[in-house]
Amino acid sequence: MSLWTRFCRWCRREEIPDSAQLAREEAVKAAVRRRCEGFRRLLSANKRALQAISSMEELLLGQRVFGMEEVRGISTRATAAVFQMVRELQVLSGNAWPTLPTALADITARMEARLAHPVAPPQGPLVMDVQDLRLDHAPLAGGKMASLGDVAAHVGLPVPDGFVVTVAGYERLMTYGGLRDELERRMQAADSEKLDDLLELSSALQRCILAAPLPPELLTAIETSVAALCARHGPDLLLALRSSAVGEDAAGLSFAGQYRSELQVPPAEAVQVWKEIIASKYGLTALTYRRQHGLPDHALPMAVGVLAMVQARAGGVAYSRDPMAGPDSPGQVVINAVQGLPCAVVDGSQTPHCYRYSRSQPPVLEEVLPGAGRPPLEEAQGRRLARMALALETWYAAPQDVEWALGEDGQLVVLQSRPMLQRTNQQDTQRGAALAALPQLAQGGIAVSPGLAVGPAVVVRREADMLAFPDGGILVVERALPRWAPLLARAAGLVSENGGVAGHLASVAREYRLPALFSLPNACSLLAGKGQITLDAEGQRILAGEAPLPDGQERGADSPAHPLLAGSPVYQCLEDVARFVTPLHLLDPASPHFAPEHCQSLHDITRFCHEKAAGLLCGGPEELGGRMGKQLKAGAKLQYWVLDMGGGYLGSVSGPVVELSQIASLPMLALWEGLTAVPWAGPPQADAGSFMCAVLESAMNPALENTTASTLAERNFCIIDADYLLLQARYGYHFSTLECRIAAEQHQNFVSFQFKGGAADLGRRSARAVLLAGLLEEHGFRAEARQDALFAVAEGFTASQSLQKVMLLGYLLLHSRQTDILMRDSARVQQLRQEWTDRMAALADGWPHVQARLCQRVGAASTVTASQASGDGKATPPQSVSCM
Amino acid sequence: MHILFVDDERDFLELMEKRMMLRGIPAATASNGDEALQRLEAAMQDGKPFDAVVLDVRMPGADGLEVLRRIKERAPQLPVILLTGHASMGVAMQGLDLGAYDYMLKPIGINELIIKLNEATRMAA
Repeated sequence: MSLWTRFCRWCRREEIPDSAQLAREEAVKAAVRRRCEGFRRLLSANKRALQAISSMEELLLGQRVFGMEEVRGISTRATAAVFQMVRELQVLSGNAWPTLPTALADITARMEARLAHPVAPPQGPLVMDVQDLRLDHAPLAGGKMASLGDVAAHVGLPVPDGFVVTVAGYERLMTYGGLRDELERRMQAADSEKLDDLLELSSALQRCILAAPLPPELLTAIETSVAALCARHGPDLLLALRSSAVGEDAAGLSFAGQYRSELQVPPAEAVQVWKEIIASKYGLTALTYRRQHGLPDHALPMAVGVLAMVQARAGGVAYSRDPMAGPDSPGQVVINAVQGLPCAVVDGSQTPHCYRYSRSQPPVLEEVLPGAGRPPLEEAQGRRLARMALALETWYAAPQDVEWALGEDGQLVVLQSRPMLQRTNQQDTQRGAALAALPQLAQGGIAVSPGLAVGPAVVVRREADMLAFPDGGILVVERALPRWAPLLARAAGLVSENGGVAGHLASVAREYRLPALFSLPNACSLLAGKGQITLDAEGQRILAGEAPLPDGQERGADSPAHPLLAGSPVYQCLEDVARFVTPLHLLDPASPHFAPEHCQSLHDITRFCHEKAAGLLCGGPEELGGRMGKQLKAGAKLQYWVLDMGGGYLGSVSGPVVELSQIASLPMLALWEGLTAVPWAGPPQADAGSFMCAVLESAMNPALENTTASTLAERNFCIIDADYLLLQARYGYHFSTLECRIAAEQHQNFVSFQFKGGAADLGRRSARAVLLAGLLEEHGFRAEARQDALFAVAEGFTASQSLQKVMLLGYLLLHSRQTDILMRDSARVQQLRQEWTDRMAALADGWPHVQARLCQRVGAASTVTASQASGDGKATPPQSVSCM
Repeated sequence: MHILFVDDERDFLELMEKRMMLRGIPAATASNGDEALQRLEAAMQDGKPFDAVVLDVRMPGADGLEVLRRIKERAPQLPVILLTGHASMGVAMQGLDLGAYDYMLKPIGINELIIKLNEATRMAA
């Protein structure tokens, strides 16, 4: 005990303890501190577990696409965090719940069983001739090549001669010399969100493949088949090498144009080009597309067709049914055709001629939309092609997307036939008075994907422009090239100066349900710098300004009726794993079912650990009784319990209550300043609809249940020391965690804030999270809103700046409560935003005085040195230097 | 704070070393388990022991878990953070069971890692 403390005790006429008493007291203090640290670690793990659970819930909503690595990563994060919670609770409680680790092990074993993906190595020859392929060879030869063999054998249509290097051949390469392990390691370590990191990853993966040695037996097999093909076609033979990835048609994904095909390849270069095509599986476009569509890499092995080149007079794509027509419409056969090779149609580099035939027998030409150059097809050839498309639809019992070529000899050859993605639900674009009021910027073009989009027009001409493309922008390009596909996941709409409905980019836009308008002349120059625009794809027009989106299509609003990836292998896996992660079954701590044996998910274990740990802190072992949580008193007793890890109080505090005036923790005092700076005006007045919505949500959402007894985990806790605060609190219907550390080294300072929940529907709760994220970003936070959860961090600021941010958070915590129910009313939202912005600015301006007052109050209690404040300039008044 | 990074990817090691130095935190590196154990030993003998170790899990030779086991035998109080590009629930739990302070996934923000290191060294103090 210091002389000063002895002096204080003497002044207060308190007994001065002897050395044995002192030792006991120090031991108790140390025990209290250890338990607080343990609880703090448990809360920190709790925060990470809830973050992971939240991420998984977000994936389940299906509003964005994701990969298997992400599912596995989130599962691992959640498991590690929950494991730590269990470990800390075991220590805190003296292993009071010995069956808890078993409950966790049971749950994780089930998750692992689902996440493990034993891939049976495909059995079969390394190469196979096209003529021997049938549809049931798809797992070995890929859907594209298998269907080619099938088209010839069953429909009797001409297809190119050639062979396929099968998935067995691909697997031989991948396992030779540990190539696959290396690729997987690099993919898992990469940041999947940042485009420039993905560019680097893509390049590294492709280099690995191109540098990998070829197994000798595979080399021999390919060379032998090429020699046989040369023998059949003579010395002038050129080859077309086409990717044929397995699983690319799963779950309605056409995988349009993401893999490379090479034409006019001399036979001597076949092996090298085969490797390049395998490498193209990791090209930026394909890699991004696969990650965004949640297609696991291991489930998409790649076969490659090696075909005799068809020297085409014309080529293109035929749809057996108009892809823009609804399923109930009689539709037409639509043929897109260009002079020369068909790739000009699919890569969007030429505007094709479009022929529309009736679906009758014989098909009748109903409409011709001229494209670039001379007409590539005669009427009879078009009719023959329409017949072929209909025959393929009949055989496969589904509308087909047929790539075709017209040879120099006049023969029509099928290059590929695959199921067509069709528009399944008419989007209600509610065009009307609101749209009519907006000035028109451009009119015309071809609607290749329906819908209404609102966002800033962003012209992208180069790869470098892609890096700066903002989320929610309307992508405007000169040519509808597949290389823009990675941006579609982030875009709100798409406009191109050329291209048609048959292009790859159009297919991808439809998969993303992204409104898209192609062949709009001079779109780039018309829309550059126009700011916010409205794209009305079906109305074939671009309007200036922002049209209100139809109900149910609000960005950040409730989930779409069908998750983007529903039915895909990765979504099924997610659903299976999520059953053991996200549901919360343990609702009532007073129930006998609130026990480890009844934990069915990681969320249950999280809740159990949190509740029990909170109980231990408020009660705890006998010898620590009364030393742990103290109820905060500021005039009246408040629903806050404070735990001091050391230095958080001014002097010693005995009894179960701590007065605010006894608090020495600067972060907690800063928070309190924010909480009390402006009195809360009470619950916001909502219209009857909003009020009913909140009532309904309260009745239906078990997480909002507040009638259960002794929900210790829902008490407001402040764990403090002189320079640290961890607040866990519930304000109204939202849950918040705020953590702040100020330290001697500036780079160690941080403020983190997490916020989730609300009383209104998810759309409004999400809108509030977005609004708060924006406000915090203006004050230097890195903030991210994921559904109704907000995560914000400010690191590396000076101590003074960090504390100022804590004060601002205090203000927002109080004043944002229950405002989610207002989030449909744009005028009120605007009013709130303005009010909060102004108040926060005023609070920030007044911070130097607040800081001076706080520092004066705590005196030398803070361990943060004066050097901290030096970078702060005007924010640190002279009188505060002693403590900051 | 004095940190040892153990990873078989040299690019990653160089990057971390540079980033930590920029923040005034001295960092040393080792590209495999044996080298890591030698460095730990040498640092202890020099009287300048490391405050924490950031350890990759999948490495040629002795893997991260084996290295962790050996570190904990030699210096049970030394905080070890597992940092890996391979998300595996089994490995995460094994590592934590062996006494790892935390299990984190690459890619990781440098500030997030520093916060974690600060926390780990505080706990060990």
